[in-house]
Amino acid sequence: MKSGLKIIHWIYFLWFLIASLRFQLAGDYLSLIVSYCGLLVTDLPSAITMLSGSLIDAFLSMIIFLLTIPLTIIFKKRLQFLYSKLNFSFAFLILLVSVFLFAPIISNENPEFSKNLSVTKLLPPFSSVKQFELKSDIDNNLSDAEYFRKESEEVIKPSFNDNIILADSFRLSDKVIYYQKNEAYEIEKESLISQTGVPVIEAKFYLLGTDEFGRDLFARLIHGTRISITVGLGAVVLSFIIGIILGFIAGYRGGLLDVLLNRFTEIFLAFPVIYLIVLILALFGSSLLSVIVVLGISGWMSLFKIVKSEVLSIKQKDFFSTAELVGLSKIQLLSREILPVIIAPVLVNMVFLFSNVVLAEAALSYLGLGTGSSYPSWGSMISSGQEYITKAWWLIAFPGLGLILTLYTFNSSGRMLGKVLNPRLKK
Amino acid sequence: MKSEIVKTLLTRILSSLLTLFLLVSFLFIIIRLSPGDPTDKYISAKLGSELSERIAEKFSLNQPVTDQYLSFVANAFSGDMGVSYNYRLPVFEVIWEYFSFTLVFASISFILQMYLSIWLALWVIKKRKKWLDKFVTNSSLFIYSIPAFVLGVALIYIFSVNLNLFPISGMKSLDYDDLSFFSQVLNKIHHLVLPLITLTAAGVALFYKYIKESMDDVLNQTFIINLRSSGVNENIILRKHVIPNALRPLISVAGVELGILLGGALITEVIFSLPGMGRLTVDSIFSRDYPLVIGCVFTAGAVMILANFLADIIKLKIDKRLVKGILN
Repeated sequence: MKSGLKIIHWIYFLWFLIASLRFQLAGDYLSLIVSYCGLLVTDLPSAITMLSGSLIDAFLSMIIFLLTIPLTIIFKKRLQFLYSKLNFSFAFLILLVSVFLFAPIISNENPEFSKNLSVTKLLPPFSSVKQFELKSDIDNNLSDAEYFRKESEEVIKPSFNDNIILADSFRLSDKVIYYQKNEAYEIEKESLISQTGVPVIEAKFYLLGTDEFGRDLFARLIHGTRISITVGLGAVVLSFIIGIILGFIAGYRGGLLDVLLNRFTEIFLAFPVIYLIVLILALFGSSLLSVIVVLGISGWMSLFKIVKSEVLSIKQKDFFSTAELVGLSKIQLLSREILPVIIAPVLVNMVFLFSNVVLAEAALSYLGLGTGSSYPSWGSMISSGQEYITKAWWLIAFPGLGLILTLYTFNSSGRMLGKVLNPRLKK
Repeated sequence: MKSEIVKTLLTRILSSLLTLFLLVSFLFIIIRLSPGDPTDKYISAKLGSELSERIAEKFSLNQPVTDQYLSFVANAFSGDMGVSYNYRLPVFEVIWEYFSFTLVFASISFILQMYLSIWLALWVIKKRKKWLDKFVTNSSLFIYSIPAFVLGVALIYIFSVNLNLFPISGMKSLDYDDLSFFSQVLNKIHHLVLPLITLTAAGVALFYKYIKESMDDVLNQTFIINLRSSGVNENIILRKHVIPNALRPLISVAGVELGILLGGALITEVIFSLPGMGRLTVDSIFSRDYPLVIGCVFTAGAVMILANFLADIIKLKIDKRLVKGILN
């Protein structure tokens, strides 16, 4: 055994890394879950109205986070591939998956949060600013629901918070004096949130710096990863469904339908796909859903070809005619007799398709036709970073690196998968 | 044999025309399905129904859909794609002006891709080092994974912003008109270096993979061993026997690669603000110049169909055995 490092070790390492760095946050999430359960019992209607996307997201990723290690131990027998050797592609793939699943735990900073532009604009990586928070009007007789809302806003940060003040530096005298780009401001000590009489002043740390609106690049990168992967998965699944169904119909039925579908595939293949995507998005408007649908529709051709040619050969085989004679329905034929046979080439194709889709999504966002401005996406981060290229290299470097590594990982694991699943190719 | 080739060619031309026809129909369907109609740009609902009816009549929107479809197809095939809103010129004229740039730009890049990838594969094969082979294969996969816009922006950052070697964007300098002819050419080349690298890198990596695999295949065949044992010079074997045989799969990929090239050209032209068809498409989308957008998409599709047709003919020229295979 040359190297003892296995995939499972990397998973454990990442898990403990997140757990140790974000111990406090994880604890906050846990207590939030507990108090939400309490709220469910006492005040069901308001508990349900309060359930937002980000809340569900945070709860789900916390639960998955807790279950990760037990699950890998319980299903040790089933998950044998976790005990194979670790290489770069697998390591990055697992990093991506964990960023996708645990994004709220890795960074609870809101990717759209922007405050005190003069202080936070275009900060380089590893910089930090001072942060203090104004006291909000304390109302002691809050209802359970309102109390919960307050508690959740402290953990899952909203995109707008008027009470937070960011400053370059500060001085404590009888008042708090803080500096924003050489401008001094004063504030009463009493109006700040304080512990035992001393105002709480925290350092807000920007691991990867900030963008032109003072937003945390790290948080944007983490959430951008989720967007890219969501678009990729959605489009690949859609392509898979279209490709499999059309391929099955064309191969199984044949005839005129086959000819028509072939011509149709020809157009799609004979087309610089990006022009088509750009046209459709321009005419129908672009949103997260329309990007997924358009990318899904534009990627099924290779799957169609594979499925069709395989179905044509399977149709001649004895086991297939037997299944037909037994009286299986079309869907059963497809799912039980054909899919298991063709799954290997289809899977390899889907991995490559995924990398194509991620690339296309980033390119569309770069052109300004992507998922819209409401989500940070790698492509749009690069495109807005290009304007500040003389001042801020980090705006392009980190999303660009993320994109390159993701594409490389999927391309190389697709190649590896092809070699493993297709032993005929080996010499 | 000859009549068979003519028959193949005719069938191939017919199927290309059919694909073109389907493309036009597809465009028509998309446009009709999309929300809003072309009169929205000229009138608002407040102006009364009579006026809007008159405008609809001007746009032939009151005719049955089948008539609209037929005239759309007829116009598209006669090169009449309407008048651009922004340029106030027939769409075809506008596109022609921009398309010539993209054609030259993409062709140079295509030739570079072919040449560099073959040269690289030959170099690796001649060196006969296993680690080198592995290294080049892996790094070509890595280069292939770099999106054009990341590479382009990175090149701008390194060579234009930091080293100040090449201009950031555009096609000519401000003092272009005052230069002599020779320095005008130099000026253009100077502006095109970074865009060409951006457009070419991924293609070289892709072609390298195909050409290397097919060269390895050819090298393992018996006639090569025969040539070697007869004492033929290794260079001559490679140049005269391996390359021609290895090129065949490359040509079938080349048609598909052209689509990637056009897409890549679109992105590259946007990054470096070059006056090409890709940037024209993107600009016309943002200025809602729909006749121009549709004209660009149609042109891109037509170019692809033409290129695939040419690739098939070249294949036929190289290898007569393929007469049957092309029709599929």
